[in-house]
Amino acid sequence: MQGFALYPFDPPGDVAALRAELRAWLAVNQPQGDIVARANCWASFDADFSRALGAAGYIGMTLPERYGGGDRHPLERYVVIEELLAAGAPVGAHWIADRQTGPLIQRYGSEEQRECYLPGIAKGELYACIGLSEPGAGSDLAAVRTTARETAEGWRINGQKIWTTGAHFSHIMLALVRTEEGSERNAGLSQLLIDLDTPGITIRPIIDMAGHHDFNEVFFDDVLVPHGALVGMRGQGWQQVTAELGLERSGPERYLSSHALLVALIDAAGAQPEPAVAALIGELAAEMWTLRQLSMSTAAKLAAGEDPMVEASVVKELGNAFEQDMPRRVQAIVTSGWDEPDNLARLLRALLIASPSFSLRGGTREVIRGIIARGLGLR
Amino acid sequence: MSAAREMLCDTARAVFAEAATAGMGPIAEAGFALLLVPEDEGGFGGDWGDVNAVLQIAGAMVPDLPVAELIVSEALQPAATVSLMAGAMGQALALSIEHVNTRQQFGRPLGKFQAVQQSLAVMACEVRAVEAAAAALATRLDAVGLDPAAADFEIAAAKLRANRAVGVVTAIAHQVHGAIGFTREYDLNRVTIPLMRWRGAHGNDAYWALILGRQVAEFGGEGLWEALTAR
Ligand SMILES: Cc1cc2nc3c(=O)[nH]c(=O)nc-3n(C[C@H](O)[C@H](O)[C@H](O)COP(=O)(O)OP(=O)(O)OC[C@H]3O[C@@H](n4cnc5c(N)ncnc54)[C@H](O)[C@@H]3O)c2cc1C
Repeated sequence: MQGFALYPFDPPGDVAALRAELRAWLAVNQPQGDIVARANCWASFDADFSRALGAAGYIGMTLPERYGGGDRHPLERYVVIEELLAAGAPVGAHWIADRQTGPLIQRYGSEEQRECYLPGIAKGELYACIGLSEPGAGSDLAAVRTTARETAEGWRINGQKIWTTGAHFSHIMLALVRTEEGSERNAGLSQLLIDLDTPGITIRPIIDMAGHHDFNEVFFDDVLVPHGALVGMRGQGWQQVTAELGLERSGPERYLSSHALLVALIDAAGAQPEPAVAALIGELAAEMWTLRQLSMSTAAKLAAGEDPMVEASVVKELGNAFEQDMPRRVQAIVTSGWDEPDNLARLLRALLIASPSFSLRGGTREVIRGIIARGLGLR
Repeated sequence: MSAAREMLCDTARAVFAEAATAGMGPIAEAGFALLLVPEDEGGFGGDWGDVNAVLQIAGAMVPDLPVAELIVSEALQPAATVSLMAGAMGQALALSIEHVNTRQQFGRPLGKFQAVQQSLAVMACEVRAVEAAAAALATRLDAVGLDPAAADFEIAAAKLRANRAVGVVTAIAHQVHGAIGFTREYDLNRVTIPLMRWRGAHGNDAYWALILGRQVAEFGGEGLWEALTAR
């Protein structure tokens, strides 16, 4: 942890041109819908937009060309992602498939799985969800109880997942299940790729406090999936999931979820803001600039094949705190009624309500701090 | 880190160790004043990456000596202070980790208690953020030939970010140390008092927040992102 230096963020090719191309594409193709959808936009579902984005080559960018990917460098993808988030583009439909499931299938999946799923992911047409949490397994993920038993016909799955974001619109779930009878804790777990239209699966909505239907309960009642549904090595599920979570934690989405609010604040303040507002804008800009440096450095480390587990957790911890703090501090300083119809007020209300989830999803604040403490040699 | 910078850091550590008791003499003799002077003018020909590395070591080892003043012009003192602060914060974190790993209460090291672990994780995040700010500022300064006007955004953002970390870092460092950290003899105050001083030196939070906020207001909402990604 000591002696930290920034890892140079050096994507191949002309980054300025990549940004300019994407901005021009967005100017034409980004739907002009509700401004509130631009906040926390990696939860905004828009199938048409995802399909267009895929056709333009901005999804599955790092996957090999023979599976429909772009064979691009991970840092080129990073540039595209941060541009999409800063613009508030509705990337929610394909988000998990592009960020997590695709790369995981590429890394651990069989040839058959790659051919079956990656082209659809890269087209922005095949969506995925993450089946980790269960009623009894939240922070304590090793308490997973959903079972998959190997039979002559395939894997038979019984149990329940919960809080599954996007299960209701996804085609596949990458689930962590207990394949070894009598196994305990993080041994005996495996990852299965489950087609969600398989008989025996019931998906029930859970409405969140903002009134949205984003996450779900998913029940498995004697669900039979083929032997080929196993991803990677049987019994290695825990190790694979841990690697997957590393991909999830340090991306630009950890500090850009509230960016639409910062934009609205700056615009509402005008070119000559009063001192208190200017000071707040300055503080938020300083934090955001710092977070961007940390996130880019972590991405560069990941791209170089290192495992920056602790750095990734630092990005998530600081990014979540920044994103949660921003609406609170904006509310403390701008005069704006709760029900006002203007952009700033509506974004503010939406983010105040959404922000408690930022330090829960993807590992709670306490779990993340525990990982950092381990990196410091304390556990 | 390049081999040349590695060597520079080794020299700095050795010289600053001596200077800790002997004062500025050894530092001046070792030629640190020439760090930024071009080679063809008889200097070391270093860049801000070198300055950042040396001043972080100074911030950790000799925070009371005017090393930054020796190496860097007045206009770049805010940037230099960020490096000193990053170094001092790194030292405060190192001392804290060492302390909680050795000090025992209730039959185990303090570091085994979750409350202590969570506090130190919070502190480590702040230290990491300031180190990143110092490094990113160095990249910018070197890209613009050390012109402070061309790095105005980065100087303001980095100093402001460093200032804002001081409260959390000094508070947690002292809290996990208990009474021993409050003594004159123990090393912790040698970095925490300078950190308190540096927060107000070369621009406190309000000063830089206003400057940065006005600059960003001129960029405009969407302009902020365009400006950040164009630099
Ligand atoms: C918006 C949203 C989307 C999500 N999407 C998905 C998804 O797509 N797929 C999926 O699998 N999951 C998803 N989750 C679930 C998420 O991963 C869990 O909420 C998270 O892991 C915490 O589990 P829990 O909610 O059961 O809380 P609990 O584990 O019950 O924790 C409650 C509180 O206690 C604290 N705590 C727990 N154990 C300890 C400990 N040992 N020490 C100190 N503090 C502790 C926690 O940090 C937390 O503050 C989502 C959650 C949210 C909010």
